[in-house]
Amino acid sequence: MAQSANDRRRINGPEESFPPIFDDDGEDIKLKMQRSRAPGDIRPIFLQPGLISQANGSAYIETEKTKIACAVYGPRQSKTTTYSEKGRLNVEVKFAPFSCTRRRAPMRDAEDRSIGVAIHQAIVSSIRLELFPKSTIDVFITIIENDGIEGCIASGSLAASTALADAGIEMLGLVASCSAAIVGDDIQLDPSEAEARASSGTVILACMPALDSITSIWQSGQVSADLSLKVILSD
Amino acid sequence: MVSISKAEKAYIQSSLQSDPPLRADGRGLIDFRTIALESGIAPIANGSARISIGRNAQDGGGGTEVVAAAKLEVESVGDGEGVDGGRVVCSVSCSPTAYPLLSPNALDDLQHDMTSVLNATLSHPTIRPKNLGILPGRKSWLLNLDVIVFSDAGNIFDAIFMAARAALWDTKVPRTKSVQYRAKKSDRSDATQAMDMDVDEMAHVGSALDTRQTIQVADFELPDYWDEGEPLDGRQTWPVCLTLNLLPTLQFLDATLQEEASVPLKLLVFYSFQSDTTPLLRGMRLLGTGVSDLVQVKSLLKDGEKYARNVWVALEGKLKDEDLRRNQKARERFLNR
Repeated sequence: MAQSANDRRRINGPEESFPPIFDDDGEDIKLKMQRSRAPGDIRPIFLQPGLISQANGSAYIETEKTKIACAVYGPRQSKTTTYSEKGRLNVEVKFAPFSCTRRRAPMRDAEDRSIGVAIHQAIVSSIRLELFPKSTIDVFITIIENDGIEGCIASGSLAASTALADAGIEMLGLVASCSAAIVGDDIQLDPSEAEARASSGTVILACMPALDSITSIWQSGQVSADLSLKVILSD
Repeated sequence: MVSISKAEKAYIQSSLQSDPPLRADGRGLIDFRTIALESGIAPIANGSARISIGRNAQDGGGGTEVVAAAKLEVESVGDGEGVDGGRVVCSVSCSPTAYPLLSPNALDDLQHDMTSVLNATLSHPTIRPKNLGILPGRKSWLLNLDVIVFSDAGNIFDAIFMAARAALWDTKVPRTKSVQYRAKKSDRSDATQAMDMDVDEMAHVGSALDTRQTIQVADFELPDYWDEGEPLDGRQTWPVCLTLNLLPTLQFLDATLQEEASVPLKLLVFYSFQSDTTPLLRGMRLLGTGVSDLVQVKSLLKDGEKYARNVWVALEGKLKDEDLRRNQKARERFLNR
């Protein structure tokens, strides 16, 4: 990033800091790794639209340890002077500094951007952008608690789509999104961070169930082609 | 990256969909432009390669130009981000000459996106080479793979991954030798004797040379000189990327910039083929504003695998040629001078 090192408007904290090290006994880790639900089950979802009153639309989503707030502003006039025939969708993701086990400096970094791009890809084809020439729809996503990138992208897309609907923006369909991890030959839906780390590959799928169409596939890791199709099917 | 008018877009789309399909440069739908590859272009790097897709035969200009280079550095495990067994970190930077129309911010974003795709695929723990460790639990190699895009004439992801694969194929990891510090035999016997005999000599026992209770502290040294070393372990597992450009009824490969701008959706698939095992899909990304469905994805994966295998075979052949050219043939040339 071409950003300067420090944002002087904030309290930046010490130059170097380290997270505390706890004595993790083996049992504890094993407990954490163990899944309490069946491989095909997802974590319970709490989803509530309209929590942020000043936004045109908003949503809050919580799946166990993943907590995300999402606000939608717009459609409003594009700040750029260039004419665009279609509306622009702008997705910005921010991690709260306290969202991870290690403190995250309140600056944009590469991970924010890649999650933003993934969510953008998931929801962009559901919005009728051709109805909003010269305007921008801003989607701001704040990750309050983070339990794995996969979960963040999946729940983030869901929250963003809900918030867009809450804002009354015309869409072709709501976007539902789910992640899966491949552990051995098993497919585990909606993995947490520890589960995803233990897996050999992950797939994030976003689709519009109403139209039966896929808006985004995001696979990484090592998966045979057949298995990956099976994963998509089970998502 | 190029913006084209609606008329141009419609023209390109309808000619692609006509029967037989027509492309501006006369290629078929699944034909690639000519690809030129040279490895070992950066003498200071541990491995490097340059690739160009679709360069003019006459003047050598006008293609997609990508250079990749791998550089190894020693990293301590534990503090910072170091991982036992080494790690691979990739970055893509785009030269402003490749995208003269983009603002610096947009260029930053673009190279971020490319980096995240490359990083997610090549830095994944399941693909990490096994010989990046130096001292278990203490030191390991950090492999920095830097890719620079010098010009983009379409199909940039394929080019980046081909260049990355060639550079990693070319990478040599220096051999290391573990070293252990041990006091001389004579010293130790002296010390034990001293303990037995004389209390005054205890100071000698406690000196820095006493190694009886120290753990086997080890450092390492490099026995080789210059670019000697072993190739990265599992270098045939690095994937190739195939970009399938999707129009509602058909797909085509190796799009030029104009063609890229006129398709709504593309699917990137990353395949690696090892001998006589099922091909592994090492990543998949859907990019663009269009939508797809399950049936289409299924057939795309099947076709993609077929095309990717062709790319893989051609690249593998070329890389072996390059190995020959740079080692055996160079040696012969040197001897027959």
